[in-house]
Amino acid sequence: MPAKMNALQQGFIRCHDCGYLVKKINQQSFCPRCDSQLHERRPHSLQRSTALLLSSFFLYIPANIFPIMTVNQFGTGDAHTIAGGIVELIDSGMIPIGLLVFVASILVPTSKLIGISLLLLSVHFRWQINARRWTMMYRVIAFVGRWSMLDIFMISILVDLVNFSGVQIIAGPAAIAFAAVVILTMFAAENFDPRLLWDK
Amino acid sequence: MNSTGFDACPECDLLINLAQPKIGEKVHCPRCGLLLSQPRKQNIERTFALSIAGFILFFPANLLPMVGISLLGNANTGILMSGVISLFDQNMWPVAVVVFLASILFPLVHISLSLLISGHLYFNRPNRYLVLWMRWMQHLDEWVMLEVYMLSIIVACVKLMAIAPLKFGWGLYAFIALIVITTLLTSTLDKQLFWRRIEQLRKDNRHAS
Repeated sequence: MPAKMNALQQGFIRCHDCGYLVKKINQQSFCPRCDSQLHERRPHSLQRSTALLLSSFFLYIPANIFPIMTVNQFGTGDAHTIAGGIVELIDSGMIPIGLLVFVASILVPTSKLIGISLLLLSVHFRWQINARRWTMMYRVIAFVGRWSMLDIFMISILVDLVNFSGVQIIAGPAAIAFAAVVILTMFAAENFDPRLLWDK
Repeated sequence: MNSTGFDACPECDLLINLAQPKIGEKVHCPRCGLLLSQPRKQNIERTFALSIAGFILFFPANLLPMVGISLLGNANTGILMSGVISLFDQNMWPVAVVVFLASILFPLVHISLSLLISGHLYFNRPNRYLVLWMRWMQHLDEWVMLEVYMLSIIVACVKLMAIAPLKFGWGLYAFIALIVITTLLTSTLDKQLFWRRIEQLRKDNRHAS
């Protein structure tokens, strides 16, 4: 066996669901072990990933300029954007928690959008010198994506608990946009096939 | 892995010819560094036991009050579902649906599937749906977000403690236990072993009939 060969070049397809390695024979398209359809690479990986990424770029704007929640206190409303909520946490001395929310709702989504864009560009322009580094980045992106849901769950808790006749917390329109950004980028990462980084 | 002994890395597609690793060994892809396999001892038995525990804990974690707050002489308590309902009442149904799926429905389906699969493998019972269950469970892996929810509870509580006294209920303790169980479950489950055992059961069943 020649060193460092891609399985596909040797005529093998790995089943995406169960990991079974199948020798490619003409048009055999189902896995003999789990019956799922075989694909050499994720179908339409780049197109799907790009489409999902572009949608999340657009939704990222309303997610950051509209209020994510409003605190109603005896008739006066106080609207917070994502960034505003973090500033308020830090101002009131809760610095570690403020940093945590900053990482989950600003740093992670932003670097995810940039990271997936870079991955798509690196496949498109075949920047293969750093394939290993790109793969590592893909792994980090796929791992941290879900943690951005922190803000959304927190709103669900706050809205539920702070619901008194005088004081109420109301979820704002940015919550919908932000949840959509998190989910769409998760799908974008899931649809990206890192093996494309290694294909010659 | 197949009968030829070859394997391909799922993330860089390197063709690898490796011996089956022993229990406790870790195998990384020599090219991209991905952890390929890490067999553990008695994986099916452990998964089965953890699934039973998780399935039982799911109910107190969802039904008992988690956090209570009192303000201006009024008191409120919250559970997972009441947060979803509050969002729904504020016409935030897209967010309500997302929270419901990621924190209630998907965790329940995931733990049930893991219970069904490991139970069938533990008792050597073939079932034609095993493949389907296994596939669903793998797809759900990423969308079970209990540990993220836990972090949200911590952040929300720190925020609220500044304005009002909080009370923690049994639901919260059950929820913490559930997170420990699901995290252990997903991080130790040896998917390759499960698929091999499912294949074996299918073959045995075919020979028997």
